[in-house]
Amino acid sequence: MNLILQVEEVSVSFDGFKALDIKYFELEERELRVVIGPNGAGKTTFMDVLCGKTKPQTGSAIMADKDLIKLNEKQIVDLGVGRKFQTPSVFGSLTVWDNLLLASKSNRGIWSTLFHKPTEAMRDAIDRVAATVGLTRHLSSVAAILSHGQKQWLEIGMLILQDPKLLLIDEPAAGMTDEETEKTGELLLELAKRHSIIVIEHDMEFVRQLARKVTVLCEGRILTEGSMEKIQNDPEVIERYLGRSKRRDENGQPVAAVTAVGTKHG
Amino acid sequence: MKIFEALWQREKTALAFAFAAILLIPLANAMGWVSDLNLNLLGRYFCFALAALGIDLVWGYAGILTLCQALFFCLGGYCIGMHMLLKTGTNGVYGSALPDFMVWNQVKTLPWFWEPFHHFPIALFLALCVPVVFAMTFGYFAFRSRINGVYFSIITQALALAMWLIFLRNETMLGGTNGLTDFKTLLGFQLAHPAVKRTLFVITAVVLTSAYFGCRLLIASKLGKVLIAIRDSEQRLRFTGFPVARFKLFAFTLSALLAAVGGILYVPQTGIITPGRMDVKNSLEMVVWVALGGRGTLSGPILGAVGVSLCYSFLTGRFPGSWLYFLGALFVAVVLFMPQGLAGALQQLPFRKRANNRSSTDIGPAALAASMAGTSDIHDPSGDAQGTGADPLTTRNTTAGVTP
Amino acid sequence: MRRNFRTKFYLLNLFLWSAGCLSAPIHGQDSASAAKALPVSRAMVKPAPDSGASAAPVGTFNPAGNEIPVAALLDTLLKNPETRTQTIKALIPRADHNLQDFFQNLFKGNLYEYSPPAAKANPDAAQPKILVIAGPETDRDGENWVQLFKTYPMQALLDENGAPIYAKTADLTELETDREVRAMVQPLLLAFDLDNPDAKKRQSAALSLGESGDTLQLPLITAALEKEKDGKCKRLMQEASARIRLHSALPENRAAAAKALGDLHSGSALAELKILASTSGAGMESDEGARKEITRAVQTIEAYASYTSIVQNIFTGLSLGSILILMALGLAIIFGLMGVINMAHGEFMMIGAYATFIVQNLFHKYLPAPYFGYFLAVSLPIAFLTSGGIGVLVETTIIKRLYGRPLETLLATWGLSLLFVQSARSLFGDLTAVSSPELLSKGWEIFPQVVLPYNRIFIIFLTITIVSLVSLIFYRTPLGTLIRAVTQNRAMSRCLGIGTRKVDALTFGLGTGIAGIAGCALTQVGNVDPGMGQNYIVDSFMVVVTGGVGKLAGTVLSGIGIGTMNKFLEPFLQSVYAKVVLLAMVILFLQNKPSGLFPAKGRNEDL
Repeated sequence: MNLILQVEEVSVSFDGFKALDIKYFELEERELRVVIGPNGAGKTTFMDVLCGKTKPQTGSAIMADKDLIKLNEKQIVDLGVGRKFQTPSVFGSLTVWDNLLLASKSNRGIWSTLFHKPTEAMRDAIDRVAATVGLTRHLSSVAAILSHGQKQWLEIGMLILQDPKLLLIDEPAAGMTDEETEKTGELLLELAKRHSIIVIEHDMEFVRQLARKVTVLCEGRILTEGSMEKIQNDPEVIERYLGRSKRRDENGQPVAAVTAVGTKHG
Repeated sequence: MKIFEALWQREKTALAFAFAAILLIPLANAMGWVSDLNLNLLGRYFCFALAALGIDLVWGYAGILTLCQALFFCLGGYCIGMHMLLKTGTNGVYGSALPDFMVWNQVKTLPWFWEPFHHFPIALFLALCVPVVFAMTFGYFAFRSRINGVYFSIITQALALAMWLIFLRNETMLGGTNGLTDFKTLLGFQLAHPAVKRTLFVITAVVLTSAYFGCRLLIASKLGKVLIAIRDSEQRLRFTGFPVARFKLFAFTLSALLAAVGGILYVPQTGIITPGRMDVKNSLEMVVWVALGGRGTLSGPILGAVGVSLCYSFLTGRFPGSWLYFLGALFVAVVLFMPQGLAGALQQLPFRKRANNRSSTDIGPAALAASMAGTSDIHDPSGDAQGTGADPLTTRNTTAGVTP
Repeated sequence: MRRNFRTKFYLLNLFLWSAGCLSAPIHGQDSASAAKALPVSRAMVKPAPDSGASAAPVGTFNPAGNEIPVAALLDTLLKNPETRTQTIKALIPRADHNLQDFFQNLFKGNLYEYSPPAAKANPDAAQPKILVIAGPETDRDGENWVQLFKTYPMQALLDENGAPIYAKTADLTELETDREVRAMVQPLLLAFDLDNPDAKKRQSAALSLGESGDTLQLPLITAALEKEKDGKCKRLMQEASARIRLHSALPENRAAAAKALGDLHSGSALAELKILASTSGAGMESDEGARKEITRAVQTIEAYASYTSIVQNIFTGLSLGSILILMALGLAIIFGLMGVINMAHGEFMMIGAYATFIVQNLFHKYLPAPYFGYFLAVSLPIAFLTSGGIGVLVETTIIKRLYGRPLETLLATWGLSLLFVQSARSLFGDLTAVSSPELLSKGWEIFPQVVLPYNRIFIIFLTITIVSLVSLIFYRTPLGTLIRAVTQNRAMSRCLGIGTRKVDALTFGLGTGIAGIAGCALTQVGNVDPGMGQNYIVDSFMVVVTGGVGKLAGTVLSGIGIGTMNKFLEPFLQSVYAKVVLLAMVILFLQNKPSGLFPAKGRNEDL
């Protein structure tokens, strides 16, 4: 299999606190990778590094022979990296249709934007994606009034139209009902047929549904990688999570089960 | 062209106003029904409206609050003022070929940067170019380093202050505190002549109308959506692959250009330009025109500029000293009670409800207002407040099913 | 002591000599009569009989000189009216304090010739006229009477019975003096102040004497120098002496004087030295060697001046920075923590200044003068409470509706600022000054010519105190924890049962209260006027922006930086251009550090 991404020796520290310290990480083409880890493990920081939002102090992240760390956000996007944020970020005062239009692949210079006229193909693509994410009925609504889950989907829809090679998706199921979560899972699996995806998730059920290779981050480092079964039986992972749970127990707080670890805001 | 049809459909009121401004009012003036003074005043207010339109583009749509619009207004004004002053030539008080203030300051030769202003085309070109280049340079550095939101506003305010201080100096050869005045002719026409004044008014009205419709087209285009997207979520836009800084720079520069055009038309009608026009207060006053009229509506700022200026004329005439109280109270009241401005408030009226259901390409003021409350949010962690402040335009559908 | 006398005497001779030669048209005749009148005049002429008027060597010792008693000189005043001027000149260099009253009254025209009535014992023998000082006039039977005093030393003149003598003014003949004499005496009167027990008087006397360049006063200064203990007085006297010696006839003396001035870093003599050092013009130094020394002195003084001006600039910059810090500290709390852009912040400062002004007036009106010095101490808390109170009011009525909408707060508070300014203008008029308490009106001279005014030192210390207090409140008290909790996550805090409304109002009040204190401090270095706040608001926002939002340390550092930078650039660029350059620097700085000196680190929250 071809590698799409190769990360080496990436470290990020905030005020001396090492938030991220990844020795080696690789992703194959059309792989769906789930990253889990307790609160503050550096999962979101990892994505921030990959999409150019945070510049690490050291290291490299090679994609298509280019080092992402040396590129700015736009260059990274042009290289084919798409990012979905933890809290849904859509253009609230634009309609769903406009949101999707802006995400569609086209020349993004000033003049071509000014005189832009959406082609039939583009309109079809937008309609198709809107149908995929279930927003056909809301195409002319302003995005701000969508529900939380709908905003998540709209953002995913925008990612699809952007058509990146690598998708970075931060907690897609946050704030969704079980049913919605399952649909999201199906959507991601469908996407993984054509794209490489890294997903951050807390919901173990959801992770199991995606059930590919899982990377466990802890205190900025990669603890272990492997299949879901391997992770669940890994003594160190259990130690990390149960250790946490035990400490919490002493404080009189409920013990968290391994199946639903961490919080929604890691 | 579909878009023009749509324009005609939706902009009937605006077209009616434009018709009145371009034809009826000058006609009434020619008939003697509208005094020369009032016509002249209205012409000046239209110039302000141009600057306000610029603010609306950059603040109302792109969410970048600029506090140096009066500076660009004056840069344009000064350029054309320099040209007219040179044309006054030996007709000045001192009969010198040099402008009067240089005679006072015992300047013997014309400073080099005054030379190009002898010729009208060059002067006009510079009047447009200087503010634009200035805005581009400043904007380039500001946007490149991602000076955002409030920071940008503060920096522009400091810029306005600094430039104001510079223009106040005598040694910058721009007339110091007294500015430039005593203009006689423009392109050979006597500025004092009523017909010339009327012509200037018509030109201003035409320029304002075209600027308004130009902005309408711009906003309706995809670029307009990008501007709104900047306001909504700059980060999302950046990770969608747009060169955000370049779009911001474009909006900022365009806004400066509009202000400069306003200034160019303002000075011949007023007959004087002083640094007082560009001080910090003036830029903020321009912002309040936009806020009062309604951000992101294009028509609102024009109404705001003309309306507030009318109030100014009225109040300073009737109750001297009350103006600052009025303006201060207006700032507070608009922000507290009319966050969407007059235009927004009108849109919210029950009998206009029907107008809200528009096609997807439309960005009605109310739609914008819907998210206005939370858009400029840099700090509030509970930014979810988006949209809750405004009237729900469509029924909120929280249980939409998914159809993969 | 002995040697000193001789020197003095020698100098006396010199002055008599030179004065005699210089005293205008009837020179020859004059000196002849002087020789007749004064037994010593031959001796005076002796040292340089053939060397011309100006060639008398100064500084060489004259062993032949001896002293004429003062009384004798005074006698000659009456006896030889023609030589009166010379005699007075001869009296001038006597550093004799008993003469002080004589000269003072001479200057005022209170010296009279008095013919005492014939003694009872010998009614026919006409009593010699004597010189008397007239006391204040009293009206007796419609005529003016004055008490008479002896001239040397000034004592009441007594008749045979030991009663004070009074005379009708009409019976007295005024000792006439011409302008020249009075002009000569005037600096002398100053010179007597050189012995004044009040050091202030001595200093100003030395300064004025140096300014006068009157060579006649040199011996007095020299004598005073011998006794002087106070360092500052001593320095000023040395300076005065050297400045006078610059007028010496001998080039080497002038050179030595210039060198002394250079060593003293005498700023006051700089202008004079520059004229002397110039290579053309009326005032230029004719002697090559002396000019070299003078030029060197000018360089030394200028170098020192530029050094001291750096110190002064740093200090003024620090105090300006302190005010900026006080302003920006309030802003940093309001803007950095609450996300509110308070454009009316300068006006809260103005409110503090006016509160100080009112307190001062109340002190003036209702408290006896000795308490006046305390008004500043009282007005500090009052300024804080007034501004803070109005701040709380503003927060509860306006700001609370605008959290999370910084640009709207900007507009609303700008409107507020207009209202405040206009109200202040209607209430107080345009310009009002607050005086400094006496304690603060002086300065601390850290070294010669570098005076750090106490009011600026006060501001710096005030700032240090306030900053420490605020950091204590924020990082060491439960209130601080509450404030930080609320400002970081309002919703969460509310869920935890914190009264966020109250904390918000308090925080805003704290910020505006500190602005009030800044205003109070500002009254000590500037005027109070309704527009004063607007001068500072842009600067202080720059401080906040440069420092990084929400970081006290950043605010303090950038406040000092911008304050001193401003003062540093001003001498080179004028204040306007300094401001422009500063703005450019801030923009360039933000190019590299968009979130200020101390950016809030950590993973950025998603928007």
